[in-house]
Amino acid sequence: MTGHVSIRLASERVNHSVATSNELPRFYTPGEVISGMQDFMRGHGTYTEDDNLKSSVAGVMQKVNKLICIRPLKSRYVGEIGDVVVGRVLEVQQRRWKVDTNSRLDSILQLSSVNLPGGELRRRSVEDEQSMRKVLQEGDLISAEVQSVFSDGSLSLHTRSLKYGKLVQGTLVKVFPSLIKRRKNHFHNILGISIIIGNNGYIWISPREKESTENDDLENIEKAKLEPVSISIREIMARVKNCIAALVASKMMLDDTSILMAYEESLKYETAKEMLDPEAMLDIAFLTQHRLNYVTTE
Amino acid sequence: MAGSLISQSEQVFIVHGVENDFRSDGRSSIDYRPMELETDVVSHASGSARLRLANTDILVGVKTEIDVPKPETPGLGKIEFFVDCSANATPEFEGRGGEQLANTISSTMQRAYYSPQAFNLKQLCIFEGKQCWKLYVDILILECGGNLCDAVSLAVKAALFNTRLPCVKAALMDGGNIDLQLSDDPYDSKQLDIGTAPLLVTLCKIGTKCVVDPSAEEERCSVISLVVGVTGNPNFYQTDDNVIPDIKCKCSTISMNGPGSLSPKTLKSAIEQGITAANCLDNALGDALLREKDEISYLKKHSYGFLK
Amino acid sequence: MPGPDLLSSQGLRLDGRRPNELRRIRCKLGVFTQPDGSAYLEQGNTKVLAAVYGPHQASKSKTSTEGVVVNCQYSMATFSTGERKNRPRGDRKSQEMSLHLRQSFTAAIKTELYPRSQIDIYIEVLQADGGAYCASVNAGTLALIDAGIPLKAYVCACTASMAWQGSEPEPLVDVGHVEEAAGGVCLTVSSLPSTGNVALLELSHKLHMDYYDMVMSRAMQGCRDIEVILDRAVREHLAEGWTKQDTITI
Repeated sequence: MTGHVSIRLASERVNHSVATSNELPRFYTPGEVISGMQDFMRGHGTYTEDDNLKSSVAGVMQKVNKLICIRPLKSRYVGEIGDVVVGRVLEVQQRRWKVDTNSRLDSILQLSSVNLPGGELRRRSVEDEQSMRKVLQEGDLISAEVQSVFSDGSLSLHTRSLKYGKLVQGTLVKVFPSLIKRRKNHFHNILGISIIIGNNGYIWISPREKESTENDDLENIEKAKLEPVSISIREIMARVKNCIAALVASKMMLDDTSILMAYEESLKYETAKEMLDPEAMLDIAFLTQHRLNYVTTE
Repeated sequence: MAGSLISQSEQVFIVHGVENDFRSDGRSSIDYRPMELETDVVSHASGSARLRLANTDILVGVKTEIDVPKPETPGLGKIEFFVDCSANATPEFEGRGGEQLANTISSTMQRAYYSPQAFNLKQLCIFEGKQCWKLYVDILILECGGNLCDAVSLAVKAALFNTRLPCVKAALMDGGNIDLQLSDDPYDSKQLDIGTAPLLVTLCKIGTKCVVDPSAEEERCSVISLVVGVTGNPNFYQTDDNVIPDIKCKCSTISMNGPGSLSPKTLKSAIEQGITAANCLDNALGDALLREKDEISYLKKHSYGFLK
Repeated sequence: MPGPDLLSSQGLRLDGRRPNELRRIRCKLGVFTQPDGSAYLEQGNTKVLAAVYGPHQASKSKTSTEGVVVNCQYSMATFSTGERKNRPRGDRKSQEMSLHLRQSFTAAIKTELYPRSQIDIYIEVLQADGGAYCASVNAGTLALIDAGIPLKAYVCACTASMAWQGSEPEPLVDVGHVEEAAGGVCLTVSSLPSTGNVALLELSHKLHMDYYDMVMSRAMQGCRDIEVILDRAVREHLAEGWTKQDTITI
């Protein structure tokens, strides 16, 4: 019984870039003059100097009417109201939690912005305040929505809907936020598992939650959440995780379509661990890109 | 730091996975993640290697110096390990933040190389009792993605394989002084015999079972990990079919890290698991190094380093 | 002023370069996955890795409401120099280097955008062969760009020295280790070439004021040349990492 060990040489390194047939856009780099005219509005990634609008990051231009932004290839997450995020609780404070969402400042979840167990909306009492750790403690993962953005750029979150809240069993994959495609829906129940593609680049893969019957008491639900996950579900989860890694290595955009396609392409590999091999990763990304091109030209 | 936190339910998921022998990326408990190796990457060093194991990135440089042997071991050379955790890996290592981890790894390496059956220091002797080589093995940790010890030991062995010691002629002069003549020709050098050099295998106890090559998340779930140093098999590093009798692998060091404890039975089976894994690693490393040597002899060495 | 012989009678330098020629620069952005931005840069035989973390929440002791806190650490691998170093950092020289790096980067980063945040810039010198500070600044700039941190412009650093061609003074750009070791002046300039501003200037050994302008302009020209090289690398990196995506998201 021997395990799998593979050591490749640097000369055998796989180049992960998948060629896209489409033309490259115009790139701007820091300090480059975008426009000399004054009738433009200064957006993210730009600044004005000597009556010139200049770029401050390296990326492509986005123009909405008169607003000009330069979007870099990657950066920390810049939150917008209504975004779905996955975050990790860093600290329990007075009447609020500090949450890491891959933004440049820690995000805040107010005690008043969560649904307390029992579900009904009620006044937050002193007891609630004292038992905040029972709801969420340090290290816990949550899914949430961006409620508002403070003036300094930090985010305020809320979980006041049944689909948000504490995440139980599963794995977290971290990618660059710019690789996440903005969609109407970021909760996906595909392949018999559930995937939350957070706008902030945190992706949560978990087994689909069982419908809880009404007469189950709270303790039983908690217990059921920690039951072992079956091998078949684990296999799917591992595949999805490795698919995402393959797409990210080739810097491809992530949404339910690309993940699903990559998953289908991965089925020719018998086991999920074969997909850790760089050649397999490139193969999957390449085939997915090919199919995506096909779909868009249709 | 956000990176070091993990929730209890995530831990449960990982523990159950290990119990079913199906980890979150699909590996079984004895599988390693893919690795990449390149030797001869630092020109200021006599030998060097860079090893990347998933996200873990290790750079090793070996520098040589002529020194006086210790009076109690006049016929032996010296080898010293130094680990530096670069802040590039994580901001936690800034300043002196990585020192404790660095010391743990370097002392484990030192112990693993201590036995003459693991690394023969006689080959570093220049003139008995007077002059010897001292090898400084400097290890730089550039990125951490779990399983540092294994990666470090692999990179060190590769760097030592790559090390060339210039040929030196030593003659005893009047008055007990030593006259050293270094060869002018840079190609007139000797390779080290590193066939038996040890590799470290970390066995991370998660739940009731042990796994090799833990990822960073898995390391966080484990209460205790066992590091086994196992001597190598010189046959893996030989091109010609010189028959060297197969040497049985031996443990050259065992150490435990973490607050938990192990029952003697699990300990025994974990050590055996470690020896099997080390043998596998050794075989793969020898194979990779010989392949690289082959490649260089065909075409001029092309250094990839961090550029490609 | 009888300086050391840095120029041959044919007007070539000790390593065969012309006086206005840079060493070969090769670089790559995004070499690591964990940091927010990273870069590797080779300038001749000087090799440097840079990693950027942030902007992230500043630690309580450092936080400033006015702008981002820039934190730098300069570290040299123990095997990076000809003679082995005992310590990778913490000595006087690397502390001074860290301060100088901070000075250069703060000049370029649009610090006012990110109150209460912190940016960590870590530099690791793998091989030192002269001009380690310049290579560090150039690598750091690339890492900052890779992390998507807003900069006023590229910040580039270059050294210049001076030699005598017969009786004519001739400034040398991008000083290598051999020339550094031979003594003579060494002017280190870190500047934002597209604006022409100087962020840091350091002079070692004596230089007659009469020749200052000449050496300075050579160093500035070096910075401009480096900017062109870095800009090309950034554009190549963008082209490689660019995937088709709907550009308009708002």
